[in-house]
Amino acid sequence: MKKLIAIVATVVFLPAAAMAETFDDAFDMNRAMHGKGYTFTWSGKQYSTDHLEEVEARVAATKENAEDLIAKAKAKNAEVANVGFEWKLTKGILKDAEAAMVSGDYRKALDLAAQAKYHARIGLEQHAYAENNWHLSVPQ
Amino acid sequence: MKIIKNITIGLSLLMSTQLVFSAQPGTTLASVNPEADRMALQQFFKKRFPDAELADYVNGIYAVDADSRTQWEDLESFPPYEFDVEEGERLFKTAFANGKGYADCFEKGGIGIRQNFPYWDKKAGTVKTLEQEINECRESNGEKPLKWGKGPIAQISAYMAWTSRDNVFDIKIPEGDEGALAAYLDGKKFFYTKRGQLNLSCANCHVQGSNVRIRADLASPSLGHTSHFPVFRSKWGELGTLHRRYKGCHKDSRSQPLGMQHETFRNLEYFQTYMSNGLVVNGPGSRK
Repeated sequence: MKKLIAIVATVVFLPAAAMAETFDDAFDMNRAMHGKGYTFTWSGKQYSTDHLEEVEARVAATKENAEDLIAKAKAKNAEVANVGFEWKLTKGILKDAEAAMVSGDYRKALDLAAQAKYHARIGLEQHAYAENNWHLSVPQ
Repeated sequence: MKIIKNITIGLSLLMSTQLVFSAQPGTTLASVNPEADRMALQQFFKKRFPDAELADYVNGIYAVDADSRTQWEDLESFPPYEFDVEEGERLFKTAFANGKGYADCFEKGGIGIRQNFPYWDKKAGTVKTLEQEINECRESNGEKPLKWGKGPIAQISAYMAWTSRDNVFDIKIPEGDEGALAAYLDGKKFFYTKRGQLNLSCANCHVQGSNVRIRADLASPSLGHTSHFPVFRSKWGELGTLHRRYKGCHKDSRSQPLGMQHETFRNLEYFQTYMSNGLVVNGPGSRK
């Protein structure tokens, strides 16, 4: 009887524990609800809803910083294009970032470069997810 | 000690069930089975649209939505692709500068052969499409290749499809040919993979989302998808090739689209047309 209870308890409770809210779920939910610049609590610690790239763009609006972030965004986009998951709007955003830099609007250039880099990073995450899960919608 | 033993048994049981779920068949060269895929897709649609006849899937959304069908039947009473078929015949029969023609490049003089495309070319180690061979024919006879998406290439392809109407698709994946199977699997993977900013796969709209509204449009079932190409789309206001449509669909998911006749698109066509084996050629077609 004890053996049966232990087996049933393991089978029933382990998946439930595994289904607890992950950091990514908590981040996505708070970002969707509150946008950037919001602080939320997950597993007893506080986190910001800012994307990595938004944090990266929060530097002095100088030509050097804009050039650097655009270069990083281009490199990340080349990486995602290489695995066939480049998004449609990213190249256009990069062009706009370069145009803003040329016109001396370094803040705009940094923000656009951050957006393009974010697209590329999520495209890479999408690719990694797809590699393991593409089969899930195949009729069996 | 006994508790640890019991928990270990429980965990093993749990892990074995997880393994059963994760070891999905049909995702690797060793496990992929095109015929099982074809039957599973047919069964999916049979269950989803029990009143639709299998043979009618060559008519896309018109096989499963009565209102759309009525409009389409009215449209087909004066087929918008008729002049394109005539022009395609004229182009097909016009000799190249060297005196040869398209008929010299194809089996049976290019008449009634649409159902055999695309095919696995073992020597070239790639999937060959009809449009690709039309251009190869031109180039091998000293002519410039045609643009892939519309115009003369679509018209010639439409004429060749017209001469093949009612012929049954018979796409082959040669037994024991790992290259052919890999091309099929690549096409299958592309079809079911979510991509682009909208995170959509072809299957999201054309399997699970078939006959479900996307804004004002109803997505067509994927079964029979390639049978009626090239197609005269009202949205285009002209005839276009299958790869033009692939490019548009790919872009609609907000992906940077592949070029027409890209190897991946040809593999996708190989997979999709294999899924339509047993259905008939009814190209060219007309769609909204």
